[in-house]
Amino acid sequence: MPRLLLALLCLGCGFRADAEVDPALLALNCLSCHREASAPAADVPALAGLSASQIRQDLLDFKYLRKPATLMSRIAKGFSDEELRAVADYLAQR
Amino acid sequence: MCELSRRRFLQALAVGGAGSLAACAGLPRKKTGGRVVVVGGGFGGATAAKTLGSLDAGLNITLVEPKARYITCPGSNWLFAGLTDLLRLSVDYRTLTEYYGIDLVTDSVESIERERRQLRLTSGRMLAYDRLILSPGIAFNWDSIAGYTPEVAELFPHAWQAGPQTVLLARQLHAMRRGGVVLIVAPPDPYRCPPGPYERASMMACWLSRHNPRGKIIILDPKRGFSKQALFEAGWRRHYRYGEADGLIEWHSLADNPITQLDAQGRTVISDFGDRFSGDVINIIPAQTAATLAVAAGLTDAGGWCPVEPKTSRSLFDEFIHVIGDAAHFSPMPKSAFAANSEAKACAMAVIGLLREVEVPTPSWLNVCYSLITPEHGISVAGVYALDAAQSLVAVAGAGGLSSPAISGSAELEAGYARSVYRNLLKDSFG
Repeated sequence: MPRLLLALLCLGCGFRADAEVDPALLALNCLSCHREASAPAADVPALAGLSASQIRQDLLDFKYLRKPATLMSRIAKGFSDEELRAVADYLAQR
Repeated sequence: MCELSRRRFLQALAVGGAGSLAACAGLPRKKTGGRVVVVGGGFGGATAAKTLGSLDAGLNITLVEPKARYITCPGSNWLFAGLTDLLRLSVDYRTLTEYYGIDLVTDSVESIERERRQLRLTSGRMLAYDRLILSPGIAFNWDSIAGYTPEVAELFPHAWQAGPQTVLLARQLHAMRRGGVVLIVAPPDPYRCPPGPYERASMMACWLSRHNPRGKIIILDPKRGFSKQALFEAGWRRHYRYGEADGLIEWHSLADNPITQLDAQGRTVISDFGDRFSGDVINIIPAQTAATLAVAAGLTDAGGWCPVEPKTSRSLFDEFIHVIGDAAHFSPMPKSAFAANSEAKACAMAVIGLLREVEVPTPSWLNVCYSLITPEHGISVAGVYALDAAQSLVAVAGAGGLSSPAISGSAELEAGYARSVYRNLLKDSFG
């Protein structure tokens, strides 16, 4: 019974299905903002040239609030560590 | 506060050189046969066409759009502060046609013949499709405010589809008498760009603070609250004396007594109970529905929007038609250009999966919306969206939300990111 209750509580309150998200699609969403930078200080940083481990470390640091960011913590918290690793690998291989 | 020079702003806004074409080069490029027609060349339609073109060179992709150039709604409020102009907000479809193999048809859709899976265009041309992606945008509900018609809107602009009306409204603001009043009649939910009316008030106040400091903007709202309200109100207090008698912005919730009538002759709007508000400049943003094309094709529900299966963005009323962007019911995602771009990417991957008859990948969606309170004070809201166990679209718990004032330098940084993300999203969508 508790299990059923938990399942009911989860409906509509933002718990995700178990399936992992396609890293290609995640990467496409990253690239909406992270394209080439022209005036580095004021721009969203570009990802070109970053290694998979750098991107992965940054994403995990944003997610667990180890590194301050205006926006990225709010985004990174929406994904599992595994998804962040997969998208970092994907972005670095572009 | 509002002193950032136009030149500096424009430098930051200028689109960088080409060179991002390879951005999608790492994605698998396979070849599938199939005719996909995309209707509507806004952020949703352009992104769908581009993503399809970059993921599958074998598709036959046609984009139907009546206008040769698209003027972006994002950024259009910046015009009221004198920070940009229509030319800088315009984009064409050349990169899509030259680099992504999109067949651009400059025409509009007369009707969708769903049984035959074909479109009848205004020119008389017929276009057949295996899959149709509709990103047709919004229509206005002209019954919502008596006396406010498409003709009257040429005098009292809504300016909610960026273009000549945006310029007209900016001219009216800039020419307003000393100490005059601007009325903004905000729309009921759901509508395109939830923070838009409040960014508009901010950018108008930015102009008034320099050129007409005794002027006032009064927002008359049929809602009890609005997007990013705490951030907007804190910014208005900081820059525009919000809450004080001589403040530049006033916000009034008229949730139980909304504006229902315009007396154009008297430059007055009238509420349900007969309260009258007069203004020197009147900006009425009417209630909205999905574009007429979607309504005429029977793809909308009683609320006026197109219900879809989120995973594939397929219409609940037609399995060969996908609907994305503002016209689609993707709640709890807001109706924004960023959301349309994200919906388009998931839609393109789903369309390819369906054409190849393989499993459609599990999607994820993102929304990020920046607003400017001054040219140097930006705020944002973000959301990560996914499917729950019942395949419904949900905001992922614990993610997303508003800018945190606790981040040092956040307001200035986010003002820079607002321009940067605008520029990048434009490039990501239109090439």
